[in-house]
Amino acid sequence: MFKTSRLKATYLNTWALLSLIFVLLILAPNVNILINALKPGNENWYHIKEYLLKDYIINSLTLVAFTGLFTVLLGTTLAWLVSVFEFPFRKFFKWGLILPLAIPPYIAAYTYDGLLNYTGVIQTFLRNSLKISVNQKYFNIMSMEGAVFIFTAFLYPYVYIITKSFLEKQSASLIENSRMLGRSPLEIFFYVILPLSRTAILGGVSLVILEVLNDYGVVKYFGIVTFSTAIFKTWFALGDIDSAVKLAAILMFMVFAVLLMENLLRGRKKFSYTTSKVRPITPLKLQGMKAAGAFVYCFTVFSLSFLIPTLQLVYWAFLAYQKVLHVKFWVLIINSLSAALVSSVLVIAIAVVIANYCRLNDGLISKIYSKITTLGYSIPGSVIAMGVIVFFVGLDRRLVWLYHMISENSSKLVLSTSMAMLTFAYIIRFLAIGYNAIEAGFARIGRKFLEASRTLGMNVTQTFFKVELKMLQPAIISGLVLVFIDILKELPLTLILRPFNFDTLATKSFEYAGDEMIHEAAISSLIIIIISAVSVYFFYKIGDREES
Amino acid sequence: MYVEIKNLNFKYKASRETTVVDFSLDMEKGETVSIVGESGSGKSTVLRLIAGLEIPLSGVIKVNNKVMVDDSTFIAPEKRDIGMVFQDYALFPHMTVAQNITFGLKRLTNKEKKERLAEVLELVSLEKFKDRYPYELSGGQQQRVALARALAPKPSLLLLDEPFSNLDADLQKKIREQLKHILKCTGITSILVTHDKEDALSIADSVVVLKEGRIVRAGSPAQVLA
Amino acid sequence: MKKILFFITFGLIVLLLAGTLAGCTATPQDGSSKQKSEGEASSQEETSNTAGNSEDKGVVNLYTNRHYDTDQQIFDMFTEETGIKVNVVKGDSDELIERLAREGKDTQADLLITADAARLHRAKVKGLLQPVESDVLFKNIPENLRDIDNQWFGLTVRGRVIVYAKDRVSPSELSTYEDLTNPKWKGKILVRSSSNVYNQSLLASFIAINGREQAKQWARGIVENMAREPKGNDRAQAIAVAAGVGDIAIMNTYYIGKMLNSSNPEEVKAAKSVGVFFPNQDTTGTHINVSGIGLTKYAKNKENAIKLMEFLASEKAQKLFAEANFEYPANPSVEPSELLKSWGDFKPQDIQLSKLGEYNDEAVKIFNEVGWK
Repeated sequence: MFKTSRLKATYLNTWALLSLIFVLLILAPNVNILINALKPGNENWYHIKEYLLKDYIINSLTLVAFTGLFTVLLGTTLAWLVSVFEFPFRKFFKWGLILPLAIPPYIAAYTYDGLLNYTGVIQTFLRNSLKISVNQKYFNIMSMEGAVFIFTAFLYPYVYIITKSFLEKQSASLIENSRMLGRSPLEIFFYVILPLSRTAILGGVSLVILEVLNDYGVVKYFGIVTFSTAIFKTWFALGDIDSAVKLAAILMFMVFAVLLMENLLRGRKKFSYTTSKVRPITPLKLQGMKAAGAFVYCFTVFSLSFLIPTLQLVYWAFLAYQKVLHVKFWVLIINSLSAALVSSVLVIAIAVVIANYCRLNDGLISKIYSKITTLGYSIPGSVIAMGVIVFFVGLDRRLVWLYHMISENSSKLVLSTSMAMLTFAYIIRFLAIGYNAIEAGFARIGRKFLEASRTLGMNVTQTFFKVELKMLQPAIISGLVLVFIDILKELPLTLILRPFNFDTLATKSFEYAGDEMIHEAAISSLIIIIISAVSVYFFYKIGDREES
Repeated sequence: MYVEIKNLNFKYKASRETTVVDFSLDMEKGETVSIVGESGSGKSTVLRLIAGLEIPLSGVIKVNNKVMVDDSTFIAPEKRDIGMVFQDYALFPHMTVAQNITFGLKRLTNKEKKERLAEVLELVSLEKFKDRYPYELSGGQQQRVALARALAPKPSLLLLDEPFSNLDADLQKKIREQLKHILKCTGITSILVTHDKEDALSIADSVVVLKEGRIVRAGSPAQVLA
Repeated sequence: MKKILFFITFGLIVLLLAGTLAGCTATPQDGSSKQKSEGEASSQEETSNTAGNSEDKGVVNLYTNRHYDTDQQIFDMFTEETGIKVNVVKGDSDELIERLAREGKDTQADLLITADAARLHRAKVKGLLQPVESDVLFKNIPENLRDIDNQWFGLTVRGRVIVYAKDRVSPSELSTYEDLTNPKWKGKILVRSSSNVYNQSLLASFIAINGREQAKQWARGIVENMAREPKGNDRAQAIAVAAGVGDIAIMNTYYIGKMLNSSNPEEVKAAKSVGVFFPNQDTTGTHINVSGIGLTKYAKNKENAIKLMEFLASEKAQKLFAEANFEYPANPSVEPSELLKSWGDFKPQDIQLSKLGEYNDEAVKIFNEVGWK
């Protein structure tokens, strides 16, 4: 006589119900996709299988493997340096190294190509001032290696952020202990920090992998055929959305297989080291060459992944600003900000509900729920968009009576021509990111505060608002910033699901870049970067004050 | 009987063996019972079951004639009116001592809260520390805050999970005396889990020894632990 | 301090949420008003909020994948002249078509503009467009630049031409597209990826003219002569020619125009170092493609929509509309820009542009088969 069912009934009514509703809402638009995937393949499908699939899968896996490896290397070493050591400008690097997230990878791809190609600043200087003509081969970033570079340079912050916050909050006593036991910093890094941060690192790198698998902009420009090229080629060029969706389903399946394998490999090592004594780590002061080395390393990464592309954009903006003066940038800014703010708050709220429910129920359901939250991140944006349109048009058709009650001559499509649809799509897309952050936050708190509070007469909900919300704040903030920035630069969903006359900074820079006018695209890209940078700094400051 | 526990059985989902087997215990009002056992004997699990933090496979728990759990009932921990002092205290790090202590006093008016706060602070001799944050306190002080927090709502039953394990030996002895004093002063019914026979000998009215989830001996401290 | 901050943020969010929701329920007539309520609450002009409402004559709703800034100027001109407001969703043509299809008969879009005839054809085949009988359009848009059933009309024309390095290639060495498969060009040809629709339409035109087998041979021959694997956009091909990666690029005319007007002096220099050659002048003609417009099948503002179509085909709009992108106006009575005139007249392919759409699938498959990435 197991009474677990009674447990749920008595423990967690609201949380369970809300979680269920959210999960179903997320699932609904995707059902359409999943069902399509099961249909037998048509003639196009066989063509794809014969000519495209193999190469494309190999390319995708190569990209994912190398980007994954390099982002882990970069992300963890940087996180380790800034949280364990003291060296010049460490305080700045702590948040400065998050900034590359503000630059959309496809803009970075255009920027680097523009910088390095024949008409770019570097070659122009060499040619005109030094009379040196270079071999184009060495200045060509449009290659597999180039794509790995772009993805690594602009996505490593996912690994960096999660690992850094983990190290800052969790590892003080362990690192100090290891020092006492006579281990060198490098040994500590490999034997203590890496294994300990495994969960955190994997959380970060899985976001990177999903982002790489879904990218279309960079690989398209660089001429690398990947899985997402196959999806879009099938959809756009062959006009066959059924086969495209089938491909998307395969992609999703691959992603889940990877995640599952990771889960199995980890097996019983599912420790999350938690201590109630949140004690900031006392950094070890580096001297001389070592300090210089740490600085140079951080500065190099910062330059390549933020400073150089930003300066290039500034230069372009300077060249082209007169051509775009008529653009009402403030409208774009307000549109971008409001869309990103509303959606990111909703994402985090939903992530909190589902994450809280899942951690209190270790059953199969929680596992399924948490996988569903990553669903939207593993499907290409445009494919999600189609699912969302179908869902909302269907919804509108069912609500027509209501619209007519409110207004006689209402149109039949209300929700699907409003911001509601776009917001909903953002939520599906970015829930994974919010969920990741919140889940990590809950893991850090553990359950004992909940238990203590409940023996003091507070129920789960009261405890959440009175105790845990406050303790969860760093996780909420970091989740908010990540989702906010992501929405700010989001493209496929915004482009296809937006209401009439709704332009954002991202769509504006895409329009220019899409028309091969990268100089004109520079200003709106720069505004995105500035807003993101300010929000990163602002939230970092709040988080910092929180700690002290 | 004030506390009646009958044939409690429990198994953690992941583990193969039953953690608690046929645990039964009766207690008079005001009595202090100590559950003694090595680590892994299931003694902390018994406390968690009584607190409502775990759900038994079978068995009955009644406190003050109110059924906490049986085949058809399960009272959520927040509704049980049972206080608990956790092994690592679980003080809310973002609240001051006063905020921690008044946390469980949600039904009182502000004035009543203040009064009750003053009472328990005096009881644990921490009047001066009420505006400190937990990390600004020593281990012994934190332990007393945890105790005060659990006592503040005047629970019908107080559970203490290894209350001395995080303290050094000298302190243990002192706190043990203080605790004994406090328990007697308040006249509260309490269950104390410990692996240290000394604790049980000095505080408990009666002792239960647990081994591999089963009760192997029970009786007065002198009899059982001699 | 922290609390104040919290309340400000919280208040802001509630306000925004309320705004979004209010937009959804209070003014359910259209999408634009909601967006306004959120984005430009204090915005300048009063917008009529009745998109999609057939009783109001005030709007026309447009899905377009052209997004030049001058387009907006032209729409503003139209509004000024007729009082009809133009609401726009800009996106990629394939996705817009898909959105249109999914919205079905309830769609609010009245017009669809795409930058490629094949896409317009696809919209037609999917049953998303309807025929338009308009003497103005018939008069202004030549027959080969519009659909056989008048379901879409070309607005601007561009050629897909050969661009060569002036210092290494003499125009006399160039003749036809077919000639580019000659082994003498081995390692010299630059062209972008086959996932690009301009290449697909180019190959589709060859299928229409020469048949599948010859078209496939041509594609294979080009792949063998490529200077590098396809990468970058059209503009990148021209730069690569200037940089000496290859000698010849296949690209659209207007990108040279854009480069010549670039704000980067080096790009202007690069553009000047290459020449434009119209191939197949003695044979089948240079491949052309159009940006065009079609009336959606379920258009709610049909009259307004046709007015806008006619306006865009009119002489005064054509000039601006074409020059925005350095393209040739579809209306033969409008002169192309000075730059285009300087390249001289050329003979275009003589095929119905609908064919580009019909053979698009075929073309994509050939590209895949011959390994044109």
